[in-house]
Amino acid sequence: MDLRKLKTLIELVENSGIAELELTEGEEHVRISRNIAPSQQFYSAAPQHHHVAAPAPQAAAVAAAPAEPAAPEGHVVKSPMVGSFYRAASPGAKSFVDIGQTVNAGDTLCIIEAMKLLNEIETDKGGIVKAILVENGQPVEFGQPLFIIG
Amino acid sequence: MSVSAITPPKPLAFSLLRLMADGEFHSGEVLARQLGVSRASVNNALRDVEQYGLTMYGVRGRGYRLIEPPVWLDAGLVRAALKTPEIFHIEIVESATSSNSMLLQRAVQGLPSGSVLAAEWQSAGRGRLGRPWHSGLGNALTFSLLWRFESGLSALSGLSLAVGIAMMRALRKSGASTVGLKWPNDILDDQRRKLAGILIEAQGDMLGPSVVVIGIGLNIKLPPSVSRHIDQPVSALAQVVTELPERNRLLALLLQELAEMLATFAAQGFAPLRTEWENYHVYQNRPVKMLLPDGRQVAGIVRGVTDEGALCVETGQGVQNFNAGEISLREA
Repeated sequence: MDLRKLKTLIELVENSGIAELELTEGEEHVRISRNIAPSQQFYSAAPQHHHVAAPAPQAAAVAAAPAEPAAPEGHVVKSPMVGSFYRAASPGAKSFVDIGQTVNAGDTLCIIEAMKLLNEIETDKGGIVKAILVENGQPVEFGQPLFIIG
Repeated sequence: MSVSAITPPKPLAFSLLRLMADGEFHSGEVLARQLGVSRASVNNALRDVEQYGLTMYGVRGRGYRLIEPPVWLDAGLVRAALKTPEIFHIEIVESATSSNSMLLQRAVQGLPSGSVLAAEWQSAGRGRLGRPWHSGLGNALTFSLLWRFESGLSALSGLSLAVGIAMMRALRKSGASTVGLKWPNDILDDQRRKLAGILIEAQGDMLGPSVVVIGIGLNIKLPPSVSRHIDQPVSALAQVVTELPERNRLLALLLQELAEMLATFAAQGFAPLRTEWENYHVYQNRPVKMLLPDGRQVAGIVRGVTDEGALCVETGQGVQNFNAGEISLREA
């Protein structure tokens, strides 16, 4: 395995929510693991406002504040490339998936398009679509979480 | 759009049309005997050929005659015209829903790089986002090429534009000196009418390997019966060259240029091709309007493309780069 690939792998692990990556390619074997705080594992759909830990009198008020909308736990499907996110094969067509729908591994979730190169994103795990993290037609970045499958 | 109104020609129609490829009169009775079908079946099969962009005369007592019979694709002829036939696996089918979809499905089963599927008739040929692609029988080239890359999908940025350059090189070698590109890869004549479209579909992950299927639809001739079904200004190769290349040779030339381009792209990416691409761009340094996928519009002047193939537009807020969107010319 060349250094460039190894570097890409390390970056991939760093930029993703995964704790450990193990890869076997022919006779080569590599394992990359890192320590991550549990809160980093899940993507938040919206920027969250954290209350700074306040002195004692206000503590109760903080606790009583409505709970932040927690992103559902599950398997995160990410974008393999920069492009635009589409939930259906053509404008006006039925979405590939909706929240609450059960999907099987290999089912198409969305299309990412960049410069007329279309990539159908399939889920590698079956489950229930718990969250769709991007709006139709919005640009997405490399590695950006798109779906949570639980 | 009335795509669904045209049903694919039946196998019997293909057989009859092939027998009539010489452009001579053929008696319905002889045709029926040759194919072992009834006279009525022949009449039925030939009754609707005009909707496929063909012109046929039926003369009582003499039979049927095709005017400008199609030049059929033939894998042997394509191979013979290729410089490096060994790197391709060519299959030609009479009718396909979409050659891209067929190759994508087979990609999963391990179809090798260099696999080509060309269809005489596509019933569900697609453009970007499901827009249908039309072609009359023998009047277009509609084919898909499967190619495998070691790299991941993110490294394929710019591939769309590189494929456009390959098309340009092949078309210019065929005598079409006035054709140009529209970002990302539409092929336009000198009046900015589209004569070919490219749609690339990819499978793979971040790290690679990845597989792409490059779908190409190129109009060669455009009979009125077909152009009626297309809702945008269209052109055809016949309108931009003095002498049309033979269809099989043209397919071979396109494949050869594509293969050379894909090898270059795999080794070096899009960056070294950027200047050549900009030279072909009909909107270079022109005022344009960009319609973005989320519905927003941006006005500016096209300044070129990035090393990744994104379009650079100089706007009131400085130069912005776009990965998606539809360009239209902003009349001054």
